[in-house]
Amino acid sequence: MAIPHPRDIQVAVVDWLDERYPFTKAVDEALYQRVPNFANAFYYCFGGMVFILIVFQLLTGVLLAMYYIPDATGNPAPAYNSVLFIQNDVYLGWLIRGVHFWSANLLIIMVLLHMARVYWTGSYRAPRELNWIVGVLMLLIVLFLSLTGYLLPWDTKAYFATEVTIKIAGSAPPAWLGAAIREVLQGGPVVGPPTLQRFFTLHVFVLPAVIVLLMYVHFRFIRAHGISEPL
Amino acid sequence: MTATVITGLAPILVYFWPAPPKGQKKGPINVALQTPVDQLQDGDAVKFDAPRNPNSAFIMADGGGDNAPGELAFGGFVVKNQGKVNVFAINCSHLGCSVALAKAAPGHPEASFDCPCHGSRFRLDGSVLHGPAAYPLSHLSWKQGPNPSEIEVEGIVLGF
Repeated sequence: MAIPHPRDIQVAVVDWLDERYPFTKAVDEALYQRVPNFANAFYYCFGGMVFILIVFQLLTGVLLAMYYIPDATGNPAPAYNSVLFIQNDVYLGWLIRGVHFWSANLLIIMVLLHMARVYWTGSYRAPRELNWIVGVLMLLIVLFLSLTGYLLPWDTKAYFATEVTIKIAGSAPPAWLGAAIREVLQGGPVVGPPTLQRFFTLHVFVLPAVIVLLMYVHFRFIRAHGISEPL
Repeated sequence: MTATVITGLAPILVYFWPAPPKGQKKGPINVALQTPVDQLQDGDAVKFDAPRNPNSAFIMADGGGDNAPGELAFGGFVVKNQGKVNVFAINCSHLGCSVALAKAAPGHPEASFDCPCHGSRFRLDGSVLHGPAAYPLSHLSWKQGPNPSEIEVEGIVLGF
């Protein structure tokens, strides 16, 4: 029996897959898109940069979560010590945490630049309003991710920044509603271990899942509408 | 449909409402003072912190602005002013920073509690001497402890 050529094995595997689901067609449709000339300007790249930064955040976030301990009891708390451990002892921990930190900062900048580009090119106009709305939702989620992530190192800056932001959220009228919002965000009468637990859960489990879902919706909308023509 | 949604959502919303941790309880907290109350000079104040073990906080008896009755404070002052002893929460009524006693000195004619954050000043009786704070310092409910260097301040053991 002749030894099959590797190419033939490849083709056989792909054919086998394609008979069960049109993978080749799906991949072709996803990848082979003509980019109009007007979209080659650098400012059409901001959205893509946001996407890459969010991917960075997901990857480095998973890596950080392998060492981070969301426990704020005691002084110094395990949460703070684990961040020091990541920064000083874990091999390349400083790098992974640095990428997470700086990507988070750049992310806000790129999101705002992307938003400004969409505004200046009028890309929010009919029939693309829904995608603008989805984008604004994602902006809010990115800001909420920044807020919840800021508390996690559990140092003085993190603690008092959160104290201030929760105080702002708790100033919503009427007074009983503000007090209730504050109580739920804090998970108790003061910013303490329950607050860290809640912010950690939002930062790691809830918000990333929601933003990935909305990104999928965002990109499907772009594919459905095509890149908007310049004004 | 509506009933299904409500019966499904209500337990989740209730679950979010924070339950007090085991060991959390309100009551008088014993505080040791550096200067006993009966040795306090007129115009003098002694600062005290909420105990760390077990983790505790004081409950404000009154207050306006950022402070309010029932809000928590992590420190306070016993101050003697014109023969009268008062206990105040440490938090400025503007935005809650810790005030500190500044005694009368050249360029600072009146002794006052000064806030380092935005420059609010309070007289030794707690009233506002200088803005931006618009409300007086909050009182803490207290009574003399078993010996002169101890007081019992109304507070809460946080339970964590």
